[in-house]
Amino acid sequence: MADRHRVADCSRRLDRRNLLATIGAAGSAGFAGCGGQGATEPSESAESDDDGDLFPLSVRLETGGTDERIRMVELIAESLQQTGYFETEVETYEWSAYLDRVINPAYQDNGYLPSIGLSGTFNPHSFCNAIHNSANIGACCNLGGIADPELDELLDSARYGIEVVEDSRLRAETYDEIWRTLAEERYTSFTHFGVETAVTTADVHGFAVWPFPEGVLGYGLFSPQDEQVAWIDRERPAGDSDLADLTSGGTLTAAVSTNPDSFDPPHSSDTTSTVVQNLLFEGLVANDVEGNVYPWLAERYELRDVRDVDRTAYEGYMRSVGTTAEGAVDVDEQVIVRHPEDDPTADDEVRVLLPDDAREAAADGTYGMWFRYELREGVEFHDGSELTAEDVVASYGYYENSTTAPQTFDSVLAVVAVDEYVVDVYAQVPDAEAERELPGVYVLSADQIADVEKGSIDPREGVTPVGTGPFEFVEFADEEYLEVSRFDDYWVGKRGVAEAFEWFDGPDAFPDGPLVDAVEVEVVPDDATRAGALRSGEVDLTYDVASATLDEFADDDGFLVHAVASGGYDYLQYPVNVEPWDDPRLREAVNHLIPRQRIVDNVLNGWAEPAWTPIPRIARGAGTADYEALETAVRPLNEYDVERAEELLEEMAGEYDESS
Amino acid sequence: MSLRRFVLRRALSVVPVLFGVSAITFGLFHLTPGDPVSQLVALNPDVSAAEEARLRERWGLSGPVWRQYLAWLSNVLVGDFGRELRTGRAVSAIVWRRLPETVVLGLFGWTFAIAIAIPAGIYAAVHEGRLGDVASRVLALSGVSVPNFWLGLVLILVFSLYLGVFPVLPPSRLPLYHPETLRYLLLPGVTIGTAAAASVTRVLRTAMVEELNEEYVTAARARGLPERTVVFKHALRNSLVSVVTLAATLTAGIVAGSVVVESVFNWPGLGSEFVQAIDRREVNVVMAITLVTAVAVVIANFLADVLYAALDPRIGYD
Repeated sequence: MADRHRVADCSRRLDRRNLLATIGAAGSAGFAGCGGQGATEPSESAESDDDGDLFPLSVRLETGGTDERIRMVELIAESLQQTGYFETEVETYEWSAYLDRVINPAYQDNGYLPSIGLSGTFNPHSFCNAIHNSANIGACCNLGGIADPELDELLDSARYGIEVVEDSRLRAETYDEIWRTLAEERYTSFTHFGVETAVTTADVHGFAVWPFPEGVLGYGLFSPQDEQVAWIDRERPAGDSDLADLTSGGTLTAAVSTNPDSFDPPHSSDTTSTVVQNLLFEGLVANDVEGNVYPWLAERYELRDVRDVDRTAYEGYMRSVGTTAEGAVDVDEQVIVRHPEDDPTADDEVRVLLPDDAREAAADGTYGMWFRYELREGVEFHDGSELTAEDVVASYGYYENSTTAPQTFDSVLAVVAVDEYVVDVYAQVPDAEAERELPGVYVLSADQIADVEKGSIDPREGVTPVGTGPFEFVEFADEEYLEVSRFDDYWVGKRGVAEAFEWFDGPDAFPDGPLVDAVEVEVVPDDATRAGALRSGEVDLTYDVASATLDEFADDDGFLVHAVASGGYDYLQYPVNVEPWDDPRLREAVNHLIPRQRIVDNVLNGWAEPAWTPIPRIARGAGTADYEALETAVRPLNEYDVERAEELLEEMAGEYDESS
Repeated sequence: MSLRRFVLRRALSVVPVLFGVSAITFGLFHLTPGDPVSQLVALNPDVSAAEEARLRERWGLSGPVWRQYLAWLSNVLVGDFGRELRTGRAVSAIVWRRLPETVVLGLFGWTFAIAIAIPAGIYAAVHEGRLGDVASRVLALSGVSVPNFWLGLVLILVFSLYLGVFPVLPPSRLPLYHPETLRYLLLPGVTIGTAAAASVTRVLRTAMVEELNEEYVTAARARGLPERTVVFKHALRNSLVSVVTLAATLTAGIVAGSVVVESVFNWPGLGSEFVQAIDRREVNVVMAITLVTAVAVVIANFLADVLYAALDPRIGYD
């Protein structure tokens, strides 16, 4: 026990670790929890040898990915180590190796503490289900092997079922119950929520960043739902930019870190692809920065019916198909629904619902939800053809068997054209997220879809992508640059924004489309080079910048750093089925030793928010009935509190002695 | 042995080399944990195990490694380097588009290295022990020691950000043969050539100092030949043998170094492609670029062997 270092002096306790010395500008920020509680003298019994063999407990923390996450885990390890109750060890892995390692059903048996970061959505489900539902053990991302039937049921009931669809208050309250359960059980320690950032030169006026990376260009350039529009004015520097001073024209040059995999929306899932597709294509609806849904290509939409069904309701429409040795379903068509009782990795045959049968089921009235979208008339694609219901139906069909098909056909049952401008979209089960999830495809041109092979809507395949969006494709050189220019016949521009959108109540000065003439996107993978290109003025905008570099730009008058709370979150999970982590007191103690504020201040230089509750700002709309009440109840459980942690550990040590 | 037979024999020896390189690379690649399927779908809660298996089958990533290797090899033997997994695009097209960029950058780097190293080496040798010699040795030592990613960033910092003489990004819209390209080549070319220039300077100086102390040099001087002729005609030619040996090794270094330099300067060549391919676990791209690199190194060694004989008639082709 000689190597226990218990330091009573507060400043030394927090400062002695060399990793803090590397933290940079914000290193002098205050340390949360230091002072009263943090400086308590070690209790007597912890110092003595009679606390049995349980402590010091060996803890192995594992992580991968960004330097920031690694430093965060090192900080947590150090915080645990300093109590004297833990012998910590941090193991780091290269990112894809780490994913392979932790996304494995057997990983939880190691008893290690994994930590990863995920990106969430407006859907509160993305902050609880993926990481706690027992269905996601060995998948993304229940790494701790949490299998709590009551919690599983609670998670399902918050999103699915006729009750929460019809009663959003009930839904919010169910989520509140989930957050409270999670805070009490402490299967997981959420450390912080991310901030989406972008840096522009002072030539870019009125820019704002979208909470998710895929909207970083399209949203900032033109989004009437938030009265958001950006323009370029190289004469006067941006600052208090006002719509009265807007100027039209100019080319915005943006630097992105990766090459777009494809311009074909369903056949790519990387961020850059979605960023560029966002300029060219549009959906039936659009979201504002809080996740509210606005009709977009659809002039209006309504929920016509909800039926109390689950996925077994389609049994009568399903057919049996074989499975391959690898455990894949052996069928060429898109599997819309797989029978919940069948498992392709175990069974030789599984029952599946295929697209034609799904349409039949919907026509017979077997569906979870029925939405009707009425399209606008006179919306033109870049090739001059007019948008009709046929394009929408073909687009959904084009998403079948694509890279993004799992997300789409997680909820979509069938899509049917009613007449030239009316489309019905059916959901598989009553789903409280359906209003956002179901219309989550880009509307492509049916003519183009008919002409090309799946996945080849891409200039590299000799196909020019055609959408209805505010910009049209000009030129692309693989791994070098992309150019798009403002689409002259953009439907919003032709009508005027106030005319186009019934819901628009912004100022008269708000323009009828994007103000920049063209957007150039340069692919610059190296972080330092990308920051350099922005600094030298060769590009006007970039994102994906490390937090230390953000500080430099924030201090420079020639640049603006735009930030908004995002859906990204980092968490640490406990191997709840391995002793002694099955003891909730141990998890509670470790959770109290996670220095959330310090992680945000020192590791992330303030470019994040501490996770006092498991729900970030952007998901609060649907995810809580009363955020203040939730925070009051839950935050104390997540505060840095060495005294409480030591009390719990002491209690455990005492019990351990008695029993042994 | 005749030159023709020599060439033929060397050409044949390329086959086992490439076979070995490909087998080792393939093996190492598969020993590294992480594959493109898990990268693509690992963080997507909506992708089921069944869908993952389907992807793996479609991309030929199922089955034991040796079988995957044999499948890959049999395709390569008929000239098919396969497709990029994520995008389905032909790998050979990617390599052909990137290759000229790397060759141009490499040639420029080499030219720069030789243009600096030969005069510097000669100067240092002729002025052995004097200030110029010491200075060139110190510079050469620093040149070898400075990592090229660091040098690249410093050059960008000084010439692009402080002085504003060069742009940070290369001219993506200019064709490679455009005269303007030369200007953009300067910073990456200097970065890539510096270490090579430093090594060559050191080796040339040592060899030259040795040659200048040889009896034939004394004899030449005694015959009253101008110092110019002695140095450039007699001593230099004999010193170049060791430079040629080094040059072949350095070619490998330049090819490998271009990986870093291309990334720093955003140069769209094989090197930056290689980094991204490794990152994304694009096995076919990595294998193809490895083979191209191996071929380049083999050719460089072969040229060195031919040059030996040209420089020194005592060396034969065997």
